[in-house]
Amino acid sequence: MNTRNFSQIYWWILFLLALGHFSCTKERIIGYNVESSTVLEDKSKKTKKKNDAEFISILYTNLYQTAISPNQLYKTQNVLYSIGDQDVANEMLLSNYFNTSGITIPKDALMRSDIDAFVVNTYKRFYLRYPSEGEKAFFKQYITNNAAVTVEMVYTAFACSEEYQYY
Amino acid sequence: MNRKKFITKSGLALGGGLLAPYILPSGRLFAKSGTVKADHVVLVMFAGGVRQQESVLGRYLEDSQGVSGAAGNIMPNLFEGNAPNKKIAYGTSVAGKPNGSEPIPKLLTQTMEKTGLLFPEMRAQSAGHYVGLNTLLTGNPGTNQGLKVRPAYPTIFEYLRKHAGFKATDTWFIGNGIGNSTPLLNSSNHKDYGLAYGGNMFAAPVTFSGAGKEVLGNAKTYSRTDLEPMYFMKNFLDQSFALTKDQISSVSNTDEEKTQIKDFIKSVFTKQQAGQLAMPPVTDSGDAINIMYAAEVLREFKPKMLAVNISGVDSCHSNFTGYLQSLHRADHITAWLWQHIQNNIPEMSGNTVFIVAPECGRNLNPNPILDQNDWVAYDHSDANALRVWGLMLGKSVPNIRIGGEAQPVGRLTDIVPTIADIFGVLDDVNACGLIDPLARSLYQRI
Repeated sequence: MNTRNFSQIYWWILFLLALGHFSCTKERIIGYNVESSTVLEDKSKKTKKKNDAEFISILYTNLYQTAISPNQLYKTQNVLYSIGDQDVANEMLLSNYFNTSGITIPKDALMRSDIDAFVVNTYKRFYLRYPSEGEKAFFKQYITNNAAVTVEMVYTAFACSEEYQYY
Repeated sequence: MNRKKFITKSGLALGGGLLAPYILPSGRLFAKSGTVKADHVVLVMFAGGVRQQESVLGRYLEDSQGVSGAAGNIMPNLFEGNAPNKKIAYGTSVAGKPNGSEPIPKLLTQTMEKTGLLFPEMRAQSAGHYVGLNTLLTGNPGTNQGLKVRPAYPTIFEYLRKHAGFKATDTWFIGNGIGNSTPLLNSSNHKDYGLAYGGNMFAAPVTFSGAGKEVLGNAKTYSRTDLEPMYFMKNFLDQSFALTKDQISSVSNTDEEKTQIKDFIKSVFTKQQAGQLAMPPVTDSGDAINIMYAAEVLREFKPKMLAVNISGVDSCHSNFTGYLQSLHRADHITAWLWQHIQNNIPEMSGNTVFIVAPECGRNLNPNPILDQNDWVAYDHSDANALRVWGLMLGKSVPNIRIGGEAQPVGRLTDIVPTIADIFGVLDDVNACGLIDPLARSLYQRI
């Protein structure tokens, strides 16, 4: 074999190697066995307090299922800030909301027809978490034993509670 | 259990049961170490920056604008002295006459100076508004006090609630707006006191404004039967979440107190609608509106301690005529509040000490801003801005004038120990070591 042939063969081998290196490869599917699940809050992780605007905005959206207008938010924020006892201010705001139309809350009859589901849904709606067994048992017993308890009362208790102030 | 053990344990349980209701939030068994001088104190924070020259010194335009022969007293309810008779611009406006030429008729038959204790030359510890207001409420010079944060040192509300055992609705701060950090003055962020001992607060012109009515006015009036389950469920939820002390973000009213406050807010809106709110004869300023709501709070809660601030005179930065008018009106509404307590709140009449003091003074020399009368304006930053006065009247307050221009007596930090002295907890407040070491009860300055 003369030197010229050897050189040709050398370049062909180099070409084929390069082609193999840069050509498409089969895609490898890598899985880590992660199962999809619904992520909800844990009350022990709620350490940040909602500011006034966040509280009002979240509450309004929760109850009316629509966003509050910037003008209404500004007015509400100022009025709440003007009262020393924030619990009083929040309770009055909420009660004011309950006295308006357009609020989206379940009927009392629905609550009483399936208290378990109502309690779970209320915890998810306000606290973005599931109730513990103790919490479920408390509310089930309390609502069952007190015929006067309404959805409005339960919602007021949740919306004015300390946990609802945090995220 | 043998009989001896049974008797011992029963005795301890009975003793504990009897004593427990009397233990104060501070852990003390006995409330007061000193003599109680009166059951109620009302502090008018005569704020906005008041020059000595136009107030207690009665110099009107003579010292400020160089108008010869134009001296005179424009605060006829607070201080002695004849009104000026030249260039009257501080009154109300009547058709056909120059603006402000009609002084407001005097309300009190005798001036506060004549019936009370006047310190005509006191010293403020700061020439600024917020620090000055802090000083009036904390008794601390507040040299490290920042804006937009709660007072660094405990307020008088917290001292009284912790050491005299007052409940939250016994202590009130009525602010004249939500600007300038005013709503933060009902409590400090001090680790040993704070909101758990804070006073109740309304920034009344906002709470009871049109927006307030829209946001709160349509609130339902729940019956006690309705409220009980709500609070029961809420308390269950709160116990489960268990906030730490430093996370408490609101004044600690009991459920009954909360209900009373809510009912009060609704009643004010109702009275507003019906035009039944008691108000000063001249109510053409934000300050007058605030005093009017303070009177409503006094009438409803009969608080042990109420502080109300006004600040209209701060227009002096750019409008000297407006400043004079505000000063004249501040005198009018302060007198009206005192008169209202005496005539309309029998539980407080004859049993209240009324204290009035500005939070700071104003400069000796003017800035170059001219108003509609070509009068120069005054800011507050020099030594003259540290010159202030203080007035006390009411139950057992002696009628004396202490000190004078050449002999200053008293500091603004004296107000807190004075109030503590009135309620018999001066020793406790002093023992905390958180007030100005130079501060004294004004009773001790006599």
